Parts: sequence; structure tokens; C-alpha cells
Amino acid sequence: MKEKGKRFADCVRRSSWKVRLSAVVMGGGQFLYGRYFKGLLYFLTEIMILTYFILRGGADIAGFFTLGTVKGDAWLGTKGDNSVIMMLMGIFAWIVIGVWIILYIANLKDVWRSQRLEEAGRPQPKFREELSQLLDRKFYVTVLALPVIGVCVFNILPIVFMILIAFTNYGGTVVPPELVDWVGFSNFSKLVTLSQFAPTFFRILGWNLLWAAASTALNYFAGLGLALLLNKDCVKGKAFWRAFPILAYAIPGFITLVAFKFMFSYGGPINQIITSSGGTAIGFLGLDAKWTARLIGLLVNCWISVPSIMLLATGYLSNRDMSLYEAARIDGASPFQQFRKLTLPFMLFSTMPVLLGQFIGNFNNFGIFYFLRGGLYVDGYFLASDTDLLINWLYNLSIDNNYYCIGAAISLVIFLITSVLSLSVYVKSPSYREEDTYQ
Amino acid sequence: MKKFRFGKILDTGLTYCILIAVAFIFFFPCLWLILASFSASGSIYSFDGFFPSSFSFATFEKLFTDTALYNYPKWFFNTLYIAAGSCVLSTFLTILTAYTMSRFTFRMRKPMMKITMVLGMFPSFMSMTAVYLLMTQFGLINQRWGLILIYAAGAPMGYLTQKGFFDTIPGAIDEAAKIDGATNLQIFTKINLPLSKPIIVYTALTSFTWPWSDFILPKLLLKERDFYTVAVGLMSLGETEFARFAAGSVFIAVPIVLLYFFLVKDMVNGMAAGAVKG
Amino acid sequence: MRKRIALLMAAVCSLAMLTGCGGEGGNDTQEPQQGTTGSPVFNGELERNVTIQVLENDTAIAQGYFDELIAAFNEAYADYGITAVDANMDQYLDLANDGPYGYGPDVLYQANDVIMKYVEGKHVYPLPVEQLECYEQIPDAAWQAYTAEIDGKSYVCGVPVNVQAGMLYYRKDLLPENWETRWDDNGNNIPDMLETWNDMYEFSLERHAENPSQYGYMKSLDDMYFSSGFLFSYGGYIFGDNNTDPSDIGLAAGDAEKGAWVLSQLAGAMNEECIDDTVTTSQYSKLADGSYFATITTPDVYTTFLDEMVLAYEKEGLTEEEAEEKAKENLVMTTLPKLPESGDLTETNPKLIDTKSMGGINGYAISAYTKYPNACLAFVDFATSYERMVERNQFLGVAPAREDAAKEAGGISELLYQNLESGNIVLMPSISQVGQIWTPGRTFFIDLAMDAFRPENEKKYTDLESLDAALEKVSKEIYDAIFTLQ
Repeated sequence: MKEKGKRFADCVRRSSWKVRLSAVVMGGGQFLYGRYFKGLLYFLTEIMILTYFILRGGADIAGFFTLGTVKGDAWLGTKGDNSVIMMLMGIFAWIVIGVWIILYIANLKDVWRSQRLEEAGRPQPKFREELSQLLDRKFYVTVLALPVIGVCVFNILPIVFMILIAFTNYGGTVVPPELVDWVGFSNFSKLVTLSQFAPTFFRILGWNLLWAAASTALNYFAGLGLALLLNKDCVKGKAFWRAFPILAYAIPGFITLVAFKFMFSYGGPINQIITSSGGTAIGFLGLDAKWTARLIGLLVNCWISVPSIMLLATGYLSNRDMSLYEAARIDGASPFQQFRKLTLPFMLFSTMPVLLGQFIGNFNNFGIFYFLRGGLYVDGYFLASDTDLLINWLYNLSIDNNYYCIGAAISLVIFLITSVLSLSVYVKSPSYREEDTYQ
Repeated sequence: MKKFRFGKILDTGLTYCILIAVAFIFFFPCLWLILASFSASGSIYSFDGFFPSSFSFATFEKLFTDTALYNYPKWFFNTLYIAAGSCVLSTFLTILTAYTMSRFTFRMRKPMMKITMVLGMFPSFMSMTAVYLLMTQFGLINQRWGLILIYAAGAPMGYLTQKGFFDTIPGAIDEAAKIDGATNLQIFTKINLPLSKPIIVYTALTSFTWPWSDFILPKLLLKERDFYTVAVGLMSLGETEFARFAAGSVFIAVPIVLLYFFLVKDMVNGMAAGAVKG
Repeated sequence: MRKRIALLMAAVCSLAMLTGCGGEGGNDTQEPQQGTTGSPVFNGELERNVTIQVLENDTAIAQGYFDELIAAFNEAYADYGITAVDANMDQYLDLANDGPYGYGPDVLYQANDVIMKYVEGKHVYPLPVEQLECYEQIPDAAWQAYTAEIDGKSYVCGVPVNVQAGMLYYRKDLLPENWETRWDDNGNNIPDMLETWNDMYEFSLERHAENPSQYGYMKSLDDMYFSSGFLFSYGGYIFGDNNTDPSDIGLAAGDAEKGAWVLSQLAGAMNEECIDDTVTTSQYSKLADGSYFATITTPDVYTTFLDEMVLAYEKEGLTEEEAEEKAKENLVMTTLPKLPESGDLTETNPKLIDTKSMGGINGYAISAYTKYPNACLAFVDFATSYERMVERNQFLGVAPAREDAAKEAGGISELLYQNLESGNIVLMPSISQVGQIWTPGRTFFIDLAMDAFRPENEKKYTDLESLDAALEKVSKEIYDAIFTLQ
């Protein structure tokens, strides 16, 4: 760190006035070094960013701190401040500042390189050369620029927004046009002190972890098994057999859930068959049906997810190096040995991220129990039922009951727990540490 | 030798038994939905057990002609538009992202991998409010391509699956090509892209079906009935319209099944065995 | 300037309120109009050449009433160039969410609890209702549902269109043939099961015993909207202080447990389908195919029942016209039977009390985000005129909130109107906390319904005390849901 600072100070001391010009006006130095296009580009970006800040960015940053000062009243015709929008656009402005800083540093580095080249008596790079570099050495910059921007605006920005909501009093009666305020950590202290909260939280967390682990294992092995089965040589008409799971895959998930809910309802066909053969109707998803409902959820989720895992596994299986299998066969390895020694390690390696993705997806699987068994509060749970996952509980709290700030605080807590958990697994996984095993 | 053959027959028999069972498990609910959509009476409660007692095409006719309140053809077209648009964009972005993350080493790579991993853990609907507010600021409510934009922007987050695939393609060919003076772009388009057909098809299929069945986002962003997607439209059906619901859900599956039959060959036989060994 | 006028008005009004209180005491339902004001934006100058978006409910659109309405309006206001169009949005949209960003409708038709939810954030305009032609014709109880007190001043934020409350639907042709001798003890020529729940219960048991696939009265009990009426009949209520005080939850108040007991007895005459929402979705076809004799639901779905009945008759071989005529004759909507004061449905010759039901008043409101408030007001005035209300009733079978239109429509509409005036329809609370009652309430009613099908030794609710305790528990749950996190 110290070394770096020293080097930086050194650069500053030795920099020419052209470089210093770039520190004030982005692109100025590059222009003077004869790199007109690049200089102009930097200059134009700076102008654009500045215009943005003059037109609205500055006000947005201010709004981020105040969250509005004038309360709107449509009846009197006063157009007030919308705190939520102000916060959102404030975050957006922060992101723009971040981009500006990155560009600014890039600009300085770039012009510093120019100075060095000039000192060494070498020619300045041509604009066209630099462009073509973007398709070769810096290919990754070109490629990743668009996805990174997209993710920043549509994923990170909303998440930051939600995290910040946890530190406000947004929700309940405090929704626009009311003004929202920053309240610091009071939502979190509320969570800790509330007596109803902790038991429900831990009960749901326990079930949620069990659910995520069980459904991931079930889906993964069922999907992989199906793919292997269909991959066997003795199976004729593979496309035909594969079409059945695909059919299930083609029907949108929520429709499947609505259909299954109906099947298991008191008036559904299963109960119709039971009652017409003399039995009494069973509340598969009813109020008392804790474990039946959980099991049905597990199986229905399996029905929905297996086809896509099967498809994926099929794709991966076709990517195996078949020469290894030939060699194994010549060495007299049984099919089971081949599976254990060749297929499974390969599949585990290449699908580890999928497995993790599945785990996360199942952990946050909102639809299953919302559609199958929504609208119930069970004894011993605070505003939740015994099949609800944390995400369903969050929904009850924040959407049904309007406590956005509390919901955001809880989701932040859950988020921290789950991300630490999954990150530590992920960092240890071979597909993260030894990416080039099969390359 | 004989024993071996007997074992093989047993194995084959067992395999087919399991396949038949699996086919039944997956097909039965679908069949139920399909037959329900052809039931003569609109109500599901007039069925004997699982299946309707009489059949007709009336529901499908109603689905496509009675469009005053429930304009199914329009919904279908909207969905197709959104799904196709986001399929092309998402596949493009995801494949490129995955390839880059698999083949290039740069300073931000590992942090980026961790960040995307963690971002996926965030309960998505919590950030829906923010997405909605953002879209109102950009004026993208009631715009179909606003949805495409969001789907495409979120898609690269799921690059891990595709990266896992690229990780299994040997890097030796790349090295050889590099020595021959090929640029990274050329290596990608000329060598790796043809090898990655299965994963491209998989990505395209998933990014096509995701908007096809998504409910929350279109519900949030498409306010006018004329812009509804099938998922939103079907959920807005009146409670007595089960047959129409079933018909709508069956018909919505048709493009995906067709797509599958067109693409299945590419997905399964995509790897040319010779290229890998080289 | 406007602000100052408003302040002045507010001061004057609060003074009027103070003096008003002294004389009349608490019972001043007559007064809500006094001191109400519309927003100053309603200056009476019609905007010209504008298009206003109107959100109607789906049934009105599907049955073709809405097309007629906007066609008539557009013709009447052609001189001003005002055009009303279908907003083409979800009938349950949330104005608070869409309006501020410019994506909501200009005029909206929703239930009173939904519209009044918007008042807190001032998403709908207070209306100068005295200017409307329908003002005198709509009863105070209905106006009350749209009146909000803000800073001591009352505002009316919606115009009542029709009354919604649980009604008994039954099939005349399914009455036993000998009902005049066997089921008309008091000889008033009205079948007894339509007069008292005791007889309905007895009839249900009998009908089911005769043919195990048939039932008498059927209803999904999980629907709090309909089930809570039984609690109200015995003194229960949702929020205290005339449904305005969320800190007082009275589901267990009075003898409400007797109402719960009645429900559990009725469940005993049904089957398990009453536990979840099965009956709510199957009632149309099951009433039509004769499996059920009667059910309770709101008047606005009358046409759905009718359509199903017509289909069923056509299947029996009648022509379309005959089937329609027969369906209209046999499908009857009437007021709810009376309850025994003791809550015991097996009692003979019980002392009877009126059955109350939860109800709502659907009406029009004007979005505070509209650019053309005066044109919107003109539309609301037009849509609530006598002719339109009568037409609405003819198209949809709903009960008009206007006295003259209700009289013209006669029959059920008039009964419903009278029920509203007599207080047998308990209007849904108009405060936002009402959103928190549904899930806890639903869970309780599901449990209650399930109890009827549990084996004897596992039953939870065997006496009135246990029911009372359960109701207390639900009330507490609702209280917690509202206040814990505030």
C-alpha cells in the first residue's frame, strides 16, 4: 500500500502539463498528444456526465440525503416530493459518480502512458489499433461491458435500494405521498426485541434449510438419473421418451401449481376418487396437513424442475471425452465403475454451479407454497404458516401487511446468512478452485 | 456369455419399466390438462373423477374468437414477441459472459464471480418495487421491450451453468489457434462457438421459456390489457373459466414443444467427437 | 390562495362539528353531508375535447353494459368533445401504486373499502356530491361508506352505485313437491327453509340423506366475507367505534360464538368441500346440475349462475329460449333466513333474530391524478343517473344504491336496499387496516369447518366456551398483525 502511494506521488511529480491538463479536463492530454479521437471521446463523456449532474444528478444526490422536504397533497394541488423515487434516483446518481471515477482514473492512466511513450520516443497508439485490441487482448472488456451495465442498473441498483430501505421507516402508513425518513438501525433493534419474531424466524429458517437441501438433492439426482437413463445405448427412440418431461417443462410453472393445487383440493379429482370409493376426503394441503403438504410441495417442485435439469445434464453428458470410456472398457471396468469413476466426478465438476444455483433457487422458491397453500396463518407462527419459506414470510410481512422496512431488514439478515453460507461452499468447490481440470 | 446376455435383457427391461413410469408421471397431469381443455362443459366440477365426460372444441373456439374481454390471440402474440426478443438478447449476453469468465483471466474475475453468486441469493420480489419505480422513471411501463430489457439484463447473472460447460472444453485448440495468429474474437467465433451448440440451445430454450411462464414481472410492468402476456391474462380469467384456463395453458405449451423437437438434435449430438480429441 | 380558503373552510367546519355534537349526541348519521366539500378542482368548467379512461368491473364489460354506458355518454357529451373509453386495465389495480406515475385510470369503479383505502394518501378526489343528480336518492348509510374524516372535516370520496351483500340463491324447482304441506308451518306460502336457518339445516340433512350426492345449503366457509355475517348477527363486529377504531377488534364480542356454532352445525350438513374454496368455484355448476339446493353469494354474479342454469337446461333438451325462461323462473335470489337466538339449529320453534351480513357498496371515484376532473365528474353524474342505474340492474342483476332505481328494479334490489337502511348489512370497514383481517379470519373459519369433520375425540370446538376462546385468539392475532410492527 505504502509502495503504491509512493509510486503515485512519483507519477504526480513527474507528470507533464499535458497529463495535468487531463486531470482537469478529461481527454485534454490525449488530444495534445495527438490522439484526437480518444481525447474527444473522453471529453464528450465528461461533458455528458456533467450535464447530467447539472440537470438532475446534483439534485438527486441532495434528495438521497433529505428524502424529500415537501409533502405532496393532490387535493390542494401541491406536487410534493416522492421519497422513494428520490432515493432510487439518488442511488442511480451515486452509480454515475462511480462510473465517472473509474473513467477518470482510466483517463489518467491512459494519458500517463502517452507521456511515457513520448519520453521513450515511441509513437502514440493509433485509435484504430486500440479499437482492434478490444476484439483481441481486451476482448473481455468489450464483452463484459454490456452485461455489467445491465446487471448494475437492473439488479444491483434495486438490491441496494432494498438494503437501504431497511434503514428507513418506509411502510405501514409511511408511503408516498407521506415523506420517508432515515431511521438508522431502529428496524433491526425492533427485530431483536420483538418476542414473536425470533421463534417464527428460527422455525421457518430450519424448515427452509431442510427444504432447500432436500429438494435440491431430489431434483438433481432425479434429473441426472433420468439423463443417464435416456443416454443408455439400449434405449430406442430417445427423442420420444425425452418428450414427456419436455411436455411438463413446456407448461408454465404457475399453471402446473394451480393445477396441482386443484388436484389435491377437497373437491379435486383425487378426493373425488377417494370419496366415490367410500373413503373420507383428505385435506392434503389443509390446515393440519403440515408434513403431507410439505411432501407434496417437494414432489411437485421435483416435477417442475427435473425436466430442465435433465436437459442440462444431457447436454453435459454429450460433452464427455468418450475415449476415456473406451479405454476404461478395454481395461474391463464395469458400467457402475465407469459411472463412479468417470461420469460422476465429471458431472459433479461441471454442474457444481448448477447445483448451487438450484440450491439458491429452491431456498428462495416463492411460488410453490404461495400457490399451493397460500393465505394461512398457523399457530406458533407469526403471520406465517408451517409450510412457508422465509421468502413467503417476507411476502406476508412486506406486501400483504405493508411493512416494507421490516421486510427489507429481515431480507438483509437472511441475505447475509445465506450468502456467507453459499459463498463458503462455492469458494471451496472444485469448479471454482480448479476450473481447468478438464481443459 | 449367456449370463451376460440375460443381465443385459434384465437391464433393458428394467430401463424401459422406469421409462414408462417416468413418462406416465410426467404425462398424466399434462393429459389431464389437455383433456380438461377439450371438455364440453366449461366447468371442471362436472368431471367423472379425473376426466371430463364429454368433449368438444368449443373452448378453443371461444379462446380465439371471444376476445372482447380476454384477448388470447393478442396475449399470445405479446408473449411470443417478448420471449423471442429476450431469447435472442439473453442467449447472446449469457454465452459471451460465460465464455469470457471461463477463458480470460483478469483482475476483477474472481470478485465478479463471487458477487454474481451472492446477488442471486437476494429475494427477488423484494427488489421488484425498485424495478417498477425505475421503469416508471424510464417511461417503460406498458412497453413490451421494457420487459425484454429487464430479462436480458438479468440473464448474464445465470452464466454459471454455461461457464461450467466452457470449462469442460479443452483449451488446447485455443492455444494452437493463438500461435497461428488468430484473435480472441476469431477463436471464439470460429472454434468455440461451433463446439458449444448444446449449451447455446439450452440457453436459448431456457431464456425463451422464462418470460413465457413468468407472471410477476409482466403483471408489474404491463398495466393495459392489450399488453398482457398469456401468464398474466390467464391469471385474470374469471373463476368459472377453468376450461378456458386449461385451453390457454395447453396452447401456450405448443411453441415450446415444437422448439424442442426442432432443437433436440443440436442439443444432444452437438459435440463433434473428433474436435475434442484434437 | 386556495390553501387559505381550504384552511378557512376547515376551521368553519370543525366549529360546526363542535356545535353539532352538543345537540345530537353520537347518533349523527344524518349529518355526514353537512360540511363536506369537493376539491376546488371541480370548478364546473368542462374540459373540452378530452378522453377519459374509465375502469369498470369485468362483469359489466363482459355483459355488454359498459359498452352501452360509454356509447350513451359519448353521445350526450359529443358537443363538448368528451369521450369516455375503457381503461382496459385490471379491475383490481392499485391506484396508489399506478396513479402517481401516470398509469392509472381517470374514473374507477371499485368496492368502498378499496376506494377508501386511497383516501389516506389522497389518491382520489373528494367530490362535490351535492351537485350530483343522484345525491338525494342515495341513502345516508351508503354515503357514509364513502365519507372520511380528515382533520375534523368530512369528505365524500366516492359515489355509491350498487349494494353488495350476501344473498341466498336457491332453485325453486328443487323444492320438495310437498313443501306447501310439509315445509310451510306458518302457512305464509313461503317455504320455511328460506325463512329460518333451522329449517334450512333440517332440509339440508334430509336432502343429503335421500341422495348422498345431493346437498341442501352449501358454501365454502373459508370465505370470511360471508362467514363473518354469522358472528355479526350475534353481536360481533370487526373494528370498534363503527368500524373506525382498529385497536378494538370485536370478532368475539357479544354472543359471537353462537354464530360460530351455527356455522359449525351447518358445516355438518355439508361435505369436506366447504373447508377450502372448492364450493366457491363449483357453486355455479353444482347449483345448475341440482347437487346443491342453495348457497350464499353476492348479487353481482347472478348472471353467472343464470348462464350455467341455461346450459344445464339446454342439455336436458330444451331450446335456448325455453331454457332461458325456465332458468330465470327457477333461479331465485332472496334475503337470508333468520337465525335462532340460542344459536341451536336443532331447536324447534326458536326465538328468531335477523341475520346480518357483511356487505359493501361499489361505486365510482375520481383519481386525483386525472387531468380532467370536471369531465370525470360529468361522467360519474351521468353513470349514476336513474336510467343508467336501472339499465345496470337489468344487465347485471345488481342492486342499485339509488332509491328510485331500486324501487323500479323491485324484488331483490328493493329488499337489499331496505336491509342496508335497517342496518342488517354491515358495511366493510373503510380503513386500510381491514387488509389485515382476511388471513387470520380465513384460518379460523377453515379450522372451524374442519372441526365438523374431525373424529369425535379430536374435535377442538365442543362447546361455546372453546369457540369464544378461539374467536378471542383470532381477534388478538389480527391486533398483533396490525400493531406489532408499527
